[in-house]
Amino acid sequence: MTIPFYWLTVLPLITSPIIYLAGRIRLIKQFRNHVNSKINNLPYWISLLVLLACWIPFFSAYQQLKISSPLIFSLGEISLRFDGLSLLLVAVSLGLSTLVTLFSGPYLRGEVGEEKYYAMLTAMTGVMAALGCAGDLFNLWVWFEAMAVTSYLLVVFYREEPASLEAGIKYVVQSATGSVMILLGIALVLAQTGTTDIAALAGKLDQTPQLLLAGALFVIGFGVKTALVPLHTWLPDAHTQAPSGISAMLSGVVIEAGLVAMLRSLGALTGLNGDGIPIAIWGPILMTFGIFNMLVGNLMALRQTLVKRLLAFSSLSHMGYMIIGIGIAMYAHEAAGAEGSMFHLLNHGLMKGLAFLAVGTLMYALGEASSHIPKTEGIAQPVAQPHAPLAIRDLNGASQRYPWMAFALSIAVLGLGGLPPLAGFMSKWQIFVAGFSTHNLWIMLLVVFAALNSVLSLGYYAPLVNALYRKQPSQAVLAGGPIPHMMTVPLVLMGLLVILLGFWPSLVGWLTGPAGGALLKVFGG
Amino acid sequence: MAAILILAIIGLPWLGAVCVWLVGDQRPRTQHYLAAGFSIAAGLAALVLLLFVSAETVIRIPAGNFFGDLTFVPDGLGAFLAAVATIVGCLAVIFSIDYMRGEEQLGRYYSFILFFIGAMAGLVLTSSLLFLFVFWEITALTSYALISFYNDDPKAVAGGIKALIITQVGGVGMLAGALAAYANTGSYEIGIFLEKAHTLPAATLSVIAFGFLIAAAAKSAQTPFHTWLPDAMEAPTPVSALIHAATMVNAGVYVLARFYPAFEDVPGWRTAVILVGSISALLAALMALVANDLKRVLAYSTISQLGYMVYAIGVGGVFASQFHLLSHSVFKALLFLAAGAVIHSVGTRDMRQMGGLGKDMPFTRSVFIIGGLALAGLPILNGFWSKELVLEAGLVDGPVWAFGLMVFVAGLTAFYTYRMTSMVFGGSSPAERHIHDAGQAMKASLGLLAIGTLTTWLLAGPFGQMLSTSLPAHQLHAVGTWVVVEEVVTAPATLLALGVIALGLAAWQWRKHLAGLGRLLGGFGQLATDGFGFESLNRGIVNATLKAADTIRPLQTGLLNWNVVGILGGLVVVLAWLAWSTGIGR
Repeated sequence: MTIPFYWLTVLPLITSPIIYLAGRIRLIKQFRNHVNSKINNLPYWISLLVLLACWIPFFSAYQQLKISSPLIFSLGEISLRFDGLSLLLVAVSLGLSTLVTLFSGPYLRGEVGEEKYYAMLTAMTGVMAALGCAGDLFNLWVWFEAMAVTSYLLVVFYREEPASLEAGIKYVVQSATGSVMILLGIALVLAQTGTTDIAALAGKLDQTPQLLLAGALFVIGFGVKTALVPLHTWLPDAHTQAPSGISAMLSGVVIEAGLVAMLRSLGALTGLNGDGIPIAIWGPILMTFGIFNMLVGNLMALRQTLVKRLLAFSSLSHMGYMIIGIGIAMYAHEAAGAEGSMFHLLNHGLMKGLAFLAVGTLMYALGEASSHIPKTEGIAQPVAQPHAPLAIRDLNGASQRYPWMAFALSIAVLGLGGLPPLAGFMSKWQIFVAGFSTHNLWIMLLVVFAALNSVLSLGYYAPLVNALYRKQPSQAVLAGGPIPHMMTVPLVLMGLLVILLGFWPSLVGWLTGPAGGALLKVFGG
Repeated sequence: MAAILILAIIGLPWLGAVCVWLVGDQRPRTQHYLAAGFSIAAGLAALVLLLFVSAETVIRIPAGNFFGDLTFVPDGLGAFLAAVATIVGCLAVIFSIDYMRGEEQLGRYYSFILFFIGAMAGLVLTSSLLFLFVFWEITALTSYALISFYNDDPKAVAGGIKALIITQVGGVGMLAGALAAYANTGSYEIGIFLEKAHTLPAATLSVIAFGFLIAAAAKSAQTPFHTWLPDAMEAPTPVSALIHAATMVNAGVYVLARFYPAFEDVPGWRTAVILVGSISALLAALMALVANDLKRVLAYSTISQLGYMVYAIGVGGVFASQFHLLSHSVFKALLFLAAGAVIHSVGTRDMRQMGGLGKDMPFTRSVFIIGGLALAGLPILNGFWSKELVLEAGLVDGPVWAFGLMVFVAGLTAFYTYRMTSMVFGGSSPAERHIHDAGQAMKASLGLLAIGTLTTWLLAGPFGQMLSTSLPAHQLHAVGTWVVVEEVVTAPATLLALGVIALGLAAWQWRKHLAGLGRLLGGFGQLATDGFGFESLNRGIVNATLKAADTIRPLQTGLLNWNVVGILGGLVVVLAWLAWSTGIGR
């Protein structure tokens, strides 16, 4: 039985309003009848069910892709082309959002606006599936914007907090700036060629100044969401202020979706030179951005005292590794670069997702005792505040009370630091292999620089681990509460995967291989 | 059979690590015995593996595209070092039963030790460059975790992170080398690389050779990367004995020995190796002369002895270096564990607060002296034979200045060993104190290592045989133990070295009469205490990095206007790049 891949988008988008309504109706009922809300967490269960159901079209699409690629679905002028790259993006976004939803049940219980959270998260998953397979530039932009809109609402979930609103405003304005540029770029392409169909454009264009300008606008426009340095300035605030599950989504898949969109759009502009060889002008630009992303991300993270902010800056450096791999793939058509960067995209989603969820769990447990909330003697604390910022020193000795959380967070950050036998090492290695396979001195030096940056990153990951394993717990840890099992399950799953992929990288070869192949094809390889 | 044994040598400790961790810290007794059981089993498996030495690839597991195969070859070098790692490993674990009694977080302690043992065995047995690097980094990870085992002590945390960062910076050399080898030969297999090395472009081979030298120097704590090892002494002492004396620090020497046939003809490589080895040996010996922390003295002496091994490889004495590695692993583990027994009962590492311990700890004193004599290179202990072999190789094939330097260092070694031993055990006890000699488990480990120190030199013949038959690329010639003995006894280098060693011992004995000389060298002593400026070099790099981080912090203004300026600036830069690279607008 084959199920069309568009159900990956249709199903979540149809159910998203239902989830919202279910929550609202519950609220109304509660208001009228004073029903105890704890029994009834309908939005959570519906969205979990829908996301789990989405795995059926996912595996069906995987089976179909083995026979022919890409899968095409057309509705009038609009067409969706589902290839290996789309499959990988769906795997990461669906996987992460399933786990995040699972995690959010206990995390968000009783928060105002819970139903919006689940509705938006589910919608975002569906939108990203479409973003990954949009067949023309304008559609790509529409899905990209739809993703942005869903994510704005999720970032400002704690709408009473000024810091979260500030982060939201920065995110909206900067994304909109990028968005305008993308539209301008699309307009230029349309004016020049009369079409926005990516497949029709790819490999057929000369490098006119107008098209180069369009390409630059795509790089920068999508680059805002992808958090290229110096367009990244929205990211640290947004990642820090969003609920931890959303931080995991933003860092693990939203910025990567921006990257995929950028690659699709640049793919449309890749022309051939006189010898029929694709012109590799965008590769060096991406590699250069990669250098700055790694360096600025690492140096900024080195001086952070808040855990989530530290992780946010480390996302910059990991984006750096991905775009270096992609840059190498574009420049020298190295399959290892394309596959490696896709592998790193997956691993980063896994490791950063794990890190943010583990931090979220700890924030949940330590919430009441966080040292940043001024305590007044003799007055009962009004409510738990699981979203107050968490400093590294609050985590001192967390392993004493939360051994599994401490272990999960340690695995995540050491994996991000690129230590074997954890997943992050293997994907970085694959990117480095690509660099050396070019036999280009500059690219080899770039790889050495990237490797040194991995070492530098341990300068902020390692103290975090040391803090977790201190014997003398912090006040926050001493006063912390218990952790619900439902929050532990996704963390254990992700932690196991991070270790498993470190030993056995080919376990996800069925995802990264076709994705790398599709990526190379985008750039005429 | 060999395949099963290799899986057992790596898998048993790792399985043990998981078990100890899962048992939980509420049951320390179970943890002690589980750890001991698994490590002993691995040690036995490694001993049996010595009977199955061959140059064949016995395990091959495909790791996927771009990752090659995970392969294992039980050749002489690998099997021997795996045996060292697991046997010293299980002795250190047995010693820990007494040493770590009553400590918290035993699960973490034993898990990482067992994880280390398996990884170290994997490191020497694998024949894939990628997995060599993987195991290499795992040992760095475990070393970091164990150095900063006492996470509440800022010195331990700093020491652990320092060790991690410095060995990782060196590791980048190996990473680049391995990648270059793969990019040029299309394979990660060490055997294929050794075969094809001479067909590679000269520049590429140089990059690989010097990259590996940097990695080896960082791992084996050689100058200029040696600064991490003394600070690593914050680890629990059994860890220092196992990781920072007997096994992990040898990995660098192992790598140099393993790849020697490929690199020996690279211009300047052998000279560089000789320089690194001899300078490390000298500087570390000088620092050992003035240090007052018992474990730091031992750490410096480790750097110095590793310098001998590196030097031996530089002059082409692969067998001598590996033989010294064997001796050193045994006697230095003995010295460290004996020092651990002392520290455990005195409660300090400062030798000035010790003294007169001989009466209270007769057993520990006896084994410490055995270890000390081997370190000083006195006959007939294992350290004597191997050090003389190194010096002989140096005299025959190496430059004379280096040989002179190494003989001089042998004298220094005798001097600081004597100083250390007499400060700890000699003299009179400073104050009233309650000293107990080593416990049963400690005595068992110490006794076995002392027997090893007295006897491992008898293995010279079989050891050489094992290396020469299973390492065809190295072209080693095996001779029997007695031939080695005869060679050493009749070599002129031996007499010279023994004379210098005697001078070193005499110098400490009559130090009062040499006071004038001592004053003359006083400034030099200060320089040695300060680590010859390498410490400030480290600090300088760290401070510069932190300063760079502080400098760019203002870029995150938090002001939306500037953020948008950043976006527009990015666009301008990309446009300028495009204009420049395509020639539009020129």
